Amino acid sequence: MGDRLENCCRCASNVCKSDLTFHLFGGQSFSHDAGSGPTELKISTECLVAVADRVSSLLVVGSVLLTLCRTDASWSLTLYQIQRTSQSDPCDLLASFSLPLVSPKVQSDTESRCVLVCVYPGDLMPASSPPHPPRSHYPLQPLLFRRLFGAEAALSKSPVVLCGLPDGRLSFLPLRIPGSRLRILHSLEQSVVFVGASAVMETDAGCAGCLIALGKQGRAVLIRAGRAGLEGGGGTRFTLGCVPGPVECACMDQSRVYYSTGSDLLMVDLWDGSSGTAGRQGDKEDEASRSNPAAFLTPISLNVSGVVALHQPARSSAGEVQLLSLSVRGRLQSIRLPVRTQEDSLSKGPSSQVGRSVGDILSAIGDICERASVLKTIIRSKNQILKQLNQVVNISFLLSNRSESDLKPVRCRGSVRWSRLLQRDSLNLTCVLENLSPFVLERGWTLSVTVLPLSCPLEAGGEASSVNYSFPFSGLGPGESVEVSLPVAAAGDASFPVTVTCSLLFSLWRFLGQEEATAPLDLQSACFSLPLNTLTVDWLHALRLSDPPAPARSSSSPADLLQGFISSRQLRCRGGQASRPEEYSARVRVSSELLRDALGLAPGSPRVSLLEWLLSEGCGGVKMERKGIKTDGSSSVICGSAPDNATVKLTVNVEEKTKPLVIVEVQVKSSSVAAVCGLHHAVLRRIQVHTLSLQVILKFLLKIYQSEFSRTCQVWEASSVGVSSGQTPPLLLRVYQQLRDGPLLIL
Amino acid sequence: MIQSTSLLESWTQENNQLASGCKLSSHVFLLLCLSLSGIPPHLDRAQLELSVVYNTCVCFTAQSQFDEAELLLTQTAQRLLQIAGDDPGTSDPSVLWRTALKSVTGTALHRRVLSLLCLQWGVWLAKSRLTAVQDFQEVSLLEAQSGAVWNDCRAETKEKISNIPILVLDPRRLVDLLKICTAIVQGAERLTEGWSVLSALQAASASPAPRALIAYTHLLSGSCLAHMNRPQMALQCYRKALETDPRCVCALYQSALIYSRLENSQAEIQALRILHSMLLLPSTTEPAMAADRLLSPSLFLCSQSLSSLLSVPSALSVLHSLALKCVIHSRVSEGVECYLDLLAALQSEDQHGVRVHAAVSTLPKLPRLYLEAGAALLMARRPADCMALCDEVIGSTLDLLPEKVLLEDPVARRVAGSGEVTEEAENGLVRLLWTAAAYLLQGHCYSQLKDWKQAVTHYTRCINLLVKVHYKDTDKDAEQGVDLCVLQRLKGLSLAGRGISFAQIDRLREALRDLQLSRQAHPEGVSARRWYGEVLWRLDRKQEAAACWEQTWSNPIPSLSEALPVYAQELQSGPLLDSAELRQKLQELGPT
Repeated sequence: MGDRLENCCRCASNVCKSDLTFHLFGGQSFSHDAGSGPTELKISTECLVAVADRVSSLLVVGSVLLTLCRTDASWSLTLYQIQRTSQSDPCDLLASFSLPLVSPKVQSDTESRCVLVCVYPGDLMPASSPPHPPRSHYPLQPLLFRRLFGAEAALSKSPVVLCGLPDGRLSFLPLRIPGSRLRILHSLEQSVVFVGASAVMETDAGCAGCLIALGKQGRAVLIRAGRAGLEGGGGTRFTLGCVPGPVECACMDQSRVYYSTGSDLLMVDLWDGSSGTAGRQGDKEDEASRSNPAAFLTPISLNVSGVVALHQPARSSAGEVQLLSLSVRGRLQSIRLPVRTQEDSLSKGPSSQVGRSVGDILSAIGDICERASVLKTIIRSKNQILKQLNQVVNISFLLSNRSESDLKPVRCRGSVRWSRLLQRDSLNLTCVLENLSPFVLERGWTLSVTVLPLSCPLEAGGEASSVNYSFPFSGLGPGESVEVSLPVAAAGDASFPVTVTCSLLFSLWRFLGQEEATAPLDLQSACFSLPLNTLTVDWLHALRLSDPPAPARSSSSPADLLQGFISSRQLRCRGGQASRPEEYSARVRVSSELLRDALGLAPGSPRVSLLEWLLSEGCGGVKMERKGIKTDGSSSVICGSAPDNATVKLTVNVEEKTKPLVIVEVQVKSSSVAAVCGLHHAVLRRIQVHTLSLQVILKFLLKIYQSEFSRTCQVWEASSVGVSSGQTPPLLLRVYQQLRDGPLLIL
Repeated sequence: MIQSTSLLESWTQENNQLASGCKLSSHVFLLLCLSLSGIPPHLDRAQLELSVVYNTCVCFTAQSQFDEAELLLTQTAQRLLQIAGDDPGTSDPSVLWRTALKSVTGTALHRRVLSLLCLQWGVWLAKSRLTAVQDFQEVSLLEAQSGAVWNDCRAETKEKISNIPILVLDPRRLVDLLKICTAIVQGAERLTEGWSVLSALQAASASPAPRALIAYTHLLSGSCLAHMNRPQMALQCYRKALETDPRCVCALYQSALIYSRLENSQAEIQALRILHSMLLLPSTTEPAMAADRLLSPSLFLCSQSLSSLLSVPSALSVLHSLALKCVIHSRVSEGVECYLDLLAALQSEDQHGVRVHAAVSTLPKLPRLYLEAGAALLMARRPADCMALCDEVIGSTLDLLPEKVLLEDPVARRVAGSGEVTEEAENGLVRLLWTAAAYLLQGHCYSQLKDWKQAVTHYTRCINLLVKVHYKDTDKDAEQGVDLCVLQRLKGLSLAGRGISFAQIDRLREALRDLQLSRQAHPEGVSARRWYGEVLWRLDRKQEAAACWEQTWSNPIPSLSEALPVYAQELQSGPLLDSAELRQKLQELGPT
């Protein structure tokens, strides 16, 4: 143990010495005892050889010192003459070459170092060269040298400097050729960590037939001379490979590359064993390895972790390889590799290693399979979503491009029905959403229905308050429809007509299947609304029919009786008139020809058919569901109750006195003014919808009607507060009635 | 007040100590300057302050820190104006200085301000802001007038030396230096613009100045005269420049160029030879001008056009052109020596070899140099050496040769690769031509050795290489023109050589065929035609032979030219036909 430690320390001192003398170029030689630990060395300014900023690598070739610096826009390789004229001056600058940066942004890390090595033709032995060439100097096979660097470099037998740059470029500069410049040999596309050379075959006798460069992420390139005459005078072959990275540092001896990933030290045998075929045999394997770079360069782990620097390996006479390494914790280690005999590599290697590697590969395949299936699912669902979004966009265009008057391909129609639930009558609207477009309404769409009464009960403060219902549905194919039901008004509620606005809402969150809980608060942005059509429920829709001869007092239930009593009482109080509530009536007079032509009513019994039409026609998109109108055959009177429980009588008379013009008169009678007005309005609206030619008259008529009505209301209000209880209201009412009774005829 | 005076004295002493110290540093002066500028400007202290600023700026300028110097000068001018209570409201230095100068006219400060103004002039000159200098030259006329004042001051200085702050550089010397430097730089600028500046330069050459600068004025006058197409007068000027300063190598180089233009080859060779030996001397590149002085003139001579006028090619380039001239002008042995020196210099690890990189090299490619040297050796009848050189070329290029070279349409090529002409210098064609030329030279060597069989072998190798080039026979263009021309000539020469060799071993039919082909490839080849006639004669086709001879009679073998590589020209190395003999043969034929 002690021996080993001492050995290490001696190595340490050796490394120090060689490194420092390397840096100081024959300054003072440092001698200190082995085992005395690291010593701080003082370097005087006299040892300064060159002043340069941001030097990332240096190399000495003969009597020339080369430094590689990064400037703002380029890499510059500077040559200095080592032999100084005087001890105090820095070295003479000989020349400087620059290579522009690829892009300044990419190479922002100043950490990355460059690699500088020198290669020279193998047949040229420098006169004063030691038996072992110095570190980073490689004799190269003359053929390879010529092919790589050209005839001129070969002729001048010039050393060539190779620079491996952090941007992955491997550039070269022949030193002794006049006018030469830095040129690119290859680009590794990742930071070059190591450049070395190795002997391919035994016949090479000391000069390397193969240049190798290793990138940070483990990409490797082997550069060899192709066979002469193979491809137009024989070129150089660049074989790309891969080793498991990251490569922290590397070194190589004759045929092996040792490199550290930080967590392990690995050895790659370039020309032995299974991978050796790539080097030895013909081009077939070579092609294979080129197409599948991972197929060769299988590293063997040496189980040493934390190595950040390696020194050139030394091979003993017995074939033992000794490596010097520096660990990340600052420990200098000497690693001895036992001699690997042929049997070792052949017998031991396979049994354990092959099994392990097969297992590894199988598990890797499993992993990849799993990942692939997950990815596939994700892709599929994304495609699905995209398809659906396409539908959404189509529908949005379809609905937003049309004006209000157009018939939209997606629309609602409605029907109303009175239903009784828990002793309370209510008017239910069944809304049917029809999809007549060629697109599917997917999940994520919501039908939103807003019910807005046109007027409102006085108690509510005079402001109409809308009620909103939304019905999410999932999937509505072309031609399909969905039906929803909602209450429009309760019995006694006289706030008709009611506008029902339908729109489609699209919520991205709902579409993506996320619930409200996870959805962010900003729902506005994830939601948009497309208006559909608008439905109107008016008095006629809300009219409940009763038996024809029933007078107002036929109410049977005690509640009705009570209600009747209360309302009569109220009326009496308000009006302060006779005991019997006053009957209000309104008339609409239409020519029968009009009915025949425009409404297509049978001329035979216009009265009944007109009533039927009035009650069943789907006006404003809403139909009234009735079991059948109970009219007693010839009778042209319909009795019913309005939503405010007032009794209503609709009568159709035919006046034939005014021949040839036959006038059909619809008369609305009720004790409730509101009901009369509402029904009158509803009747007019129906006729108006179908007889657009008469719009002008109708408008005029409606105007008068509305102004009178509002005036009446005001008067009523005033009287109810008790400001005045004079004779004005009845007077006005009379005026109104006269107006109603006027001979306005819709032609 | 007493304190202030004593402070003033101590500062003055400090300045004087610094100024008389052996090592001048701008830092310490700047410190002093800063401490002075900390106090409000006042007339009493202005004298000292201006002197310190002057000293600081001289040090800055000596260290090429022109920006710092200029900044300090501008600040000082502004301070001066503060004293005078004058505000020009601008930061334009020339306006500033004019106002400042006006404000101190007639006071004791005037000459100090003038000397600072001189420094500003120097900074402008160093930064090549010649328009500013020109503006200032009107003011500098004042300079001469104030010379008298300065002399008085000097006398004054001698009397009470302790109270007057010392200046590190005499302002009058500065003015002299600046004047001549301005003349040189302006001369160079105007010369490049095509103006005649002769009178100004000649005026400047009479002024007192260092020799090197006077030499520059002569040199520039010479260049001016050369531009004016008066080579002899230009030569005179160059000679004067050399006489003034023997290290003015660029005068030598310019004279060599003039001799070359005058086609005085012997003088040119002589000039080149001297130039080369001077370039090899140490420190010729930077003339050691006034080492004892504080300010080197080179600080002010950094104009682009001047440096291009003063540039001299590297020693190796000079050596190459010397070698080539010698060979071409039939001083072959000298040329051979030069070539061998050149190759040795290129091979050596000596610094000259590396330093060549720095300048843009005018040297041809290395293989071409080898081949030229080989041709020179062949002409010097040293075939063995020639063959060794050729072997090297062949060895380095042979396995880089392409199987086939297809020259594209020159027009298309020019469009595609106009930017890559220099990049692709060593392409397949060029390498092939090198190898072929090496074989051709080896063939010549063997024929010189009268080893005809070997000669035939090598000529054949050359021909085999040359036929690998395929091209469309379009008009010869500039770029490829030279290569194609060399190709044709090599073809012609190698075919002729083989034909002659065949003729020597009496294989007349082959000889006739080769010579015929040679004449087709290179119709100007004289020896091929003469030998064609000879072979015809030997084949007993005497009339044809006579016709052939008659045709070639008048024109001798053309002398070597510089336009083409030497090895692609007729070297007269092979067996020659005696023209007298030919004439005799013709006369024999004539009567019959």
